[in-house]
Amino acid sequence: MDLIYHLLTMSGIYVILTLSLNLTVGYAGLFNLGQGAFFGIGAYTAALLSIKLGFPFLIEIPTTALVTGLLGMIIGVPALRLSGDYLALATFGLGVIVYTILNNWISFTGGPMGIPGIPRPTIFTLSFNSSASYMLLVTVFALLIIVFMNRLTRSAFGRVLLAIREDETATLAIGKNTSKFKILAFLVCAFIAGIAGSLYAHYISFVDPSSFTTAESFLIFSMVVFGGMESIPGSILGATTLILFPESLRLLGIPTFYAAQIRKMLYGLLLVIIILKRPQGLWGKYPF
Amino acid sequence: MIIQVLVNGIISGSIYSLIAFGFTLIYGVMNFFNMAHGAVYLLGAYLGYALCVKLNIYFPIAAALATAIVATLMLLIDNIAFRPLRTKKAPGWAFIIISIGIATLLEACVTMVFSSDVRSLTKGPIQPGYEFLGAIITRNQLIILIAAVSIMVLLTFFLNKTKIGKAMRGTADNPEMAIVVGIPVDKVYRVTFFFGSALAAIAGILVSLDTDIDPNIGNPALLKGIVASILGGIGNISGAFWGGFLLAMIENFAVWIIPGGWKDGISLVVLILFIMIRPSLFGIEIEK
Repeated sequence: MDLIYHLLTMSGIYVILTLSLNLTVGYAGLFNLGQGAFFGIGAYTAALLSIKLGFPFLIEIPTTALVTGLLGMIIGVPALRLSGDYLALATFGLGVIVYTILNNWISFTGGPMGIPGIPRPTIFTLSFNSSASYMLLVTVFALLIIVFMNRLTRSAFGRVLLAIREDETATLAIGKNTSKFKILAFLVCAFIAGIAGSLYAHYISFVDPSSFTTAESFLIFSMVVFGGMESIPGSILGATTLILFPESLRLLGIPTFYAAQIRKMLYGLLLVIIILKRPQGLWGKYPF
Repeated sequence: MIIQVLVNGIISGSIYSLIAFGFTLIYGVMNFFNMAHGAVYLLGAYLGYALCVKLNIYFPIAAALATAIVATLMLLIDNIAFRPLRTKKAPGWAFIIISIGIATLLEACVTMVFSSDVRSLTKGPIQPGYEFLGAIITRNQLIILIAAVSIMVLLTFFLNKTKIGKAMRGTADNPEMAIVVGIPVDKVYRVTFFFGSALAAIAGILVSLDTDIDPNIGNPALLKGIVASILGGIGNISGAFWGGFLLAMIENFAVWIIPGGWKDGISLVVLILFIMIRPSLFGIEIEK
C-alpha cells in the first residue's frame, strides 16, 4: 500500500512539473531544457526556508514559488534573446550552472551532502505525516494546477503564447509585446516548478544536487514529448506513465542499480520511438 | 605559475577544440545540435578503456579501434534515427529531442556495463613529467596535445582538399544548391556524422590518458563543446578550434583564483556573457 501512495505522490509531483514545462515547450514553443534546475531551486528554497527560517508551510510554499519564479525570470531574460535551438542550448547550460552552484556553495546549500531533515508540512492543526495524507495533499495541488493550466491556456494569454509559437513576427505586428509574454511564460513555468520542488523536498525530507541534474531536465522534457505537446491530458498521461511504467521493473525484482539504468534506457528509447513514429505524442496536437 | 596555467589551458584546450570541432561540423553541415555528442565522447572513453585495459591492446591500436567502432555505431544510429527525420524534413527541435533520447540511452548502457565506478587507463606509479620553462607537462599530456592538433589539422586538410570534403562544405553552405549540382547529399550527411562522432570519441579516449573517467563525464563535455563552438561562431570550424583554446584558458585562469568545482559554471557564465554582449567572436551571428 505504501508503494502505491509513493507512486501516486511522485506522479502528482511530476504531473505538476510536466504541466508547467508544457506551457513553455508545448504552448509557447520555447525549448526549455532547464526544468530540472527550476525544480531544484524550488526544492532548495523550500528546504532552506523551512529549516533555517522556520517558515510554516502555508507561507513557505508561495514564497518558494515566488522566489523560483523570479529567479526563473531573471535567468530567462538573457536566454530569451535566443530563438529555438539556441534557447535549448542556453537552458541546458543553465541546468549545469544551477547544479554547480548547489554542489559547490557548501555554506549555503550543504554541497554534495545536501540538506537533510526537512519536516513534513503542517497546515494549522492538520499534519501530513502519513504517506496517505501526503499523497492527498499532493493530489490536491496537482488538481489545482491542472485547473489553473486549463484556464490559463484557454485565456488570452495562452492564445498569445500559441501565436508566438506559430509566428513571432506576426504576433509582434498585431501589437503584442512578445518578449513580455515569453518572460511571463518562463516566470509561470518556474513558479509552478517551484511548487513541485517544495512538495518534493517535504516529501523526501532530504535534498541533494544529484536529484537535479540535466538528466532530470531531460526526463521532464521526455514526459512532455511523450504525453504530447500543447495538451494538458497529454502531460498528465505522460508524467504518470513514465513514473509508473518503470516501477514495474522493481516488482520484477531487478536490483536497484540495474533498474535505474534500465529505466533510463527505456526513457531514451521511448523518446526516439515517439519522435519517429508519433511526433505529436500520445495525446498531443502539435505534429510537424 | 602563469606558465603552468597556460600549459594546462593548452592541454584542456586541445580536448575542448576536438569536441567543439565535431559538434560544429555536425551543426554546420546537418544543421542540428547533436545533444548526443557528449554521450559519444563517453562511449569512446569507455570503449578505449575496455580495449586497452581489459583486452590489453596496445594503446594507439585500441584508440583507433574504439574510434572506428563508436563512429560505425553512430552511423547505424544515424540510419535508424536521424535519416527518417531528414527525409521527413522535420524541424530542428525533433532532432534535438531524438539526440537527447540517444544520449540517455547510450549513457545508461555505458553505466550498466561498466558500473558507475571511477576507472583509470593508466596503471602503476605516476610518471614524472617533463619540465618546460618551469611548468610540468606529463608524457600523456604531450600525446594528447600532439594527437588532437594533428587530427584537427588533417581534418581541415580533408575538408579543404578532398572531393567529399568540398561536397560537405557545399552542403553546409546551401543544401538545395548542393542537390541541384549533383552532390550526393545523403552520403555527405552520413560522412559528416561519422567524422563528427569519431572526433567526439577520440576526444574521450585522449582524455582518459590524463584523467580518470566515470559515467558522468558526458554532459560536461557536451557543454564545453557547445560553449567553445558558440565562442567561435557555431558552424565555423576554425572558430571552434580557437574557441576551444579560449574557453580552456578562461577556465584555467579562473580556477587559479576560485575553487575548481566551479569550472563547469564558468563555461556557462562565459556563454551567457557572450550571448548578451557579443553573440560571436569570429563572425557568424547567433540570432537568426
